[in-house]
Amino acid sequence: MHKYVIRRLLLAVPVLLLSSLIVFGLMRVMPGDALIALMGEGGNVGAKELAKLRNDLGLDRPYHEQYAIWVWQMVTFSPGHSIFTNEPIGVSLKKAIPVTLELAALAMILGLVIAIPVGVVSATRQDTAPDYVGRIVAVSGLSFPDFWLATLVITFAAIWFHWIPPIGYASFWESPWQNLQQFLLPAAVLGFRLSAATMRMTRSTVLEVLREDYVRTAWAKGLAGRIVVYKHALKNALIPVVTIVGGQLGTLLAGTVIVETIFALPGMGRLTVEAILYRDYPVVQTNVMLVAATLVTINLVVDLTYAWLDPRIRYR
Amino acid sequence: MSTVTAHVENFPEQPLQTVSRIRALWITIRRKPLGAASAALIATLVLTAIFADVLAPYDPLSAQPEIRLARPSQAHPFGTDDIGRDVLSRVIHGARISLWVGLLAVGIGTVAGMIIGLVCGYWEGRLDLMLQRLMDAIQAIPGLILALAIVSILQPSTTNAMLAIAVVIIPGNSRIVRGAVMSAKQNRYVEAAQAIGCRHPRIIATHILPNVTAPILIIASIWLGNAILIEASLSFLGLGTQPPDPSWGLMLSSTGRAYMEQAPWLAIFPGLAISLAVLGFNLFGDTLRDAWDPKLRNR
Repeated sequence: MHKYVIRRLLLAVPVLLLSSLIVFGLMRVMPGDALIALMGEGGNVGAKELAKLRNDLGLDRPYHEQYAIWVWQMVTFSPGHSIFTNEPIGVSLKKAIPVTLELAALAMILGLVIAIPVGVVSATRQDTAPDYVGRIVAVSGLSFPDFWLATLVITFAAIWFHWIPPIGYASFWESPWQNLQQFLLPAAVLGFRLSAATMRMTRSTVLEVLREDYVRTAWAKGLAGRIVVYKHALKNALIPVVTIVGGQLGTLLAGTVIVETIFALPGMGRLTVEAILYRDYPVVQTNVMLVAATLVTINLVVDLTYAWLDPRIRYR
Repeated sequence: MSTVTAHVENFPEQPLQTVSRIRALWITIRRKPLGAASAALIATLVLTAIFADVLAPYDPLSAQPEIRLARPSQAHPFGTDDIGRDVLSRVIHGARISLWVGLLAVGIGTVAGMIIGLVCGYWEGRLDLMLQRLMDAIQAIPGLILALAIVSILQPSTTNAMLAIAVVIIPGNSRIVRGAVMSAKQNRYVEAAQAIGCRHPRIIATHILPNVTAPILIIASIWLGNAILIEASLSFLGLGTQPPDPSWGLMLSSTGRAYMEQAPWLAIFPGLAISLAVLGFNLFGDTLRDAWDPKLRNR
């Protein structure tokens, strides 16, 4: 087990290095740079001042040097400053990460609370009305674009209930009520979308497991239906579900750009997209690497969860 | 040896397989109402895209400011937008853009993913290790962020959005094809073909490829829906199709959001169009899987 974890962590190093090269390369071939965006904000800047600025920011160095400096900054956890706002990137992340974490946690909880029971009911009552309703809701969840759902939810909440989510982000510790009001709708929209895939997978795997011999044995022993389904079938059906949920968690932690933009939540997604638009290299590079490292870690945790769910699985 | 080769060459596995797959799909579509519904949705979308010029009652770009933000009526069943363009005509022409982007992006992504997957799965070794780590690295970057970065480099447009979506699709597809190739390689007939000295391209084309087409087509049909969603998302963020072209995502982001309370039809109809298109491809992907995956056939 330990060897397996160490090997996986070692394998992650070249993947993260390649990701860093891709991101660094993409940012350098993008037309325009942060200084041009800065000049647009600050009016005309002379060529001398521009050269000095470029020198101060290290943008006049050869690419391999810029890359080496950045990798060193990442390794030493000192990602530097934003070119555009001059704010330390660590400070921006401290503001954005809690927003994304809260949104991800709420959406995930809502998604799972809907998906698992509906998926199980759909499987245990295959080809009946509840199954059809569950499947149609699931496929709809996959098909509705989140920006459309978000726009409709905001508008109809305003028209029918004369209520709009409060503007201006407030953290949970500052104002819990305002915070919950801000997160309720975006979490519901994301949770509904997430529940769709999980529901479909739960239905499919529970159906498969319900046909296994040990489940038939459980029925034959006269166990209650709930115990057979939830204790014997569901736990063994969860491996593919955990894989899906792990992938979804990774996507959520990467920041849900559109939902954050529509609901004016200053999370990771919005921070990264704004940085791309302003060509703020250090911010984009740091955010993407943070997300890449998170995804690699989540994949590892998902793989390790398999052994807990199915003790027959051993890691070598 | 030549007799064995002749037998292998004359073995009619491919035509039989193709016929049975189409038949299996036809049976599934006839048996499952959702399969028939998905086929109908896709057929409607394709026909709408092909005959958009004939079906659209008005020019999707011609503005009539005197009837701006008109409610849905007999003359304009989906209403008009902020400069008096007919929303129904724009939704109909939007089908062409969405389908075009979806087909080309998925086509490019699938072919590239298939080539990488075939090379990795068939030859394995160092090349496989290197290419798979590259695929891992691309997959570690969130899809929409990667697409955004690529579009920012190439300049926002429908074609560039399509290329960006193709890049996002490649790693997942390559992995699925690689797995299917590695599994197909274990078959005795592949070993036999190798033993009698068939060349690699021939083995790949005649023995491996037919075994990986089913998963490729299933995934491609599901990706078509996702590609339409990503194009709509990029257009929503201003980095996909540019105005005044009628992209569904752009219609939602520009006028749809701005006039949502005054003129909800501006957001409702393009959103419904996206949802129905994606729904059609998702359900069709399920139907293909039901038809071609023996484990699911009797479910």
